[in-house]
Amino acid sequence: MRARAAALLLCAAVAGLVWLALTSSHLDAGPAALVVSAVAAAVATVLIAFQPLLAVLARSRPAAFRGHLALGLAALVLVLVHVAALWLLSPEDVLFAISPDGPTRARMAVLATVALVIVVVLGIVRRWSSYAPQATRILHAFFGSLTLLLGVGHAVLTDGALDGPGTAALLLLAALGVAGIAAAQTTHLGSSAPSSAPGEVDDPVG
Amino acid sequence: MNRTRMIVLVGFMVLVVAGVGVALFASDLSGTGAQNVGSRPGNATAAPAEGCPATRSNPGGDNNYIPDAPPGEDLGDGFVIQGVVRQAGDCRPLPDVRIQVWLATRTGGESDNRTSVRTDAQGRYRVETAPTVAQFGEPNIHVGYDDDAYEAVFIRNVVDLDDTAATIDLNLRPR
Repeated sequence: MRARAAALLLCAAVAGLVWLALTSSHLDAGPAALVVSAVAAAVATVLIAFQPLLAVLARSRPAAFRGHLALGLAALVLVLVHVAALWLLSPEDVLFAISPDGPTRARMAVLATVALVIVVVLGIVRRWSSYAPQATRILHAFFGSLTLLLGVGHAVLTDGALDGPGTAALLLLAALGVAGIAAAQTTHLGSSAPSSAPGEVDDPVG
Repeated sequence: MNRTRMIVLVGFMVLVVAGVGVALFASDLSGTGAQNVGSRPGNATAAPAEGCPATRSNPGGDNNYIPDAPPGEDLGDGFVIQGVVRQAGDCRPLPDVRIQVWLATRTGGESDNRTSVRTDAQGRYRVETAPTVAQFGEPNIHVGYDDDAYEAVFIRNVVDLDDTAATIDLNLRPR
């Protein structure tokens, strides 16, 4: 029941944020690449914000864990689509944005993307290896938090499709994500016995 | 996890957060060297700096630059880009100097909205365009000089979405 409610909430959040983006004046008569870029970024933000919630649900439901994995990878792909669409719009502006001279919002985006890649790599390591399970879980959540906060910060500082009500929606998503990360860590600490035995494997999610 | 590992882990995370903080703190809000030059009608124009130091190109200044923007192109109305072009060092106004302007507006991107104008006898130039829109997260205005008499200059400055004018003065150094 909780999983179904979470799925419905996720779909509603994706639809709501995409609707806000598509109805913004910023995209009026904008080129297709700009629309694709904005929509990809909006969906990626929702997916990243919901990941901790899925991680909490995954502790009792394998399907939620598969969703956590799939949506995490989807978020990474969508971020790459966002950047690729911007590249189609103006390669020079992309290169400037990611350079050391780029604006603060672009630096936040670069750091968020690097953190997201680390999150995915740590997720894969946790899935396929038993090496330092607690450390990888903590780092996975830590870099996930960075991804969320820097990504939302980037979106809030950007004049674009998610101004006005979109900004409020972004801040709500950030609050949901941070609460989810806290819940995931609390759930984990409350349900697993502390141990430092070599080779111990935690449960696959956290 | 034993205590030593936990300390190392926490130390690593603190270092990462500190690194992110430094990286953000060290950045310019609109990019290195970009100034907010937006204004509303009636705002006073700043006097030139003493000695009129040569204007230097800033990073991103030549983004989407296409040489030889067509003269007198109709870019719409509702927003004015203006400025005075002087000779660096002696502040002498430079007449009949070709200035190129390009920006994103509702009618098109930076590659589409471009024009060139010549300065008048007092070194002034003026371009009227449709209001700016955000390009890569912020409304940018590019102004450039790329002819033979003076050193080339490419400027990228920013305005706010509700501004209706921008002033960008240039001090050119002879080649």
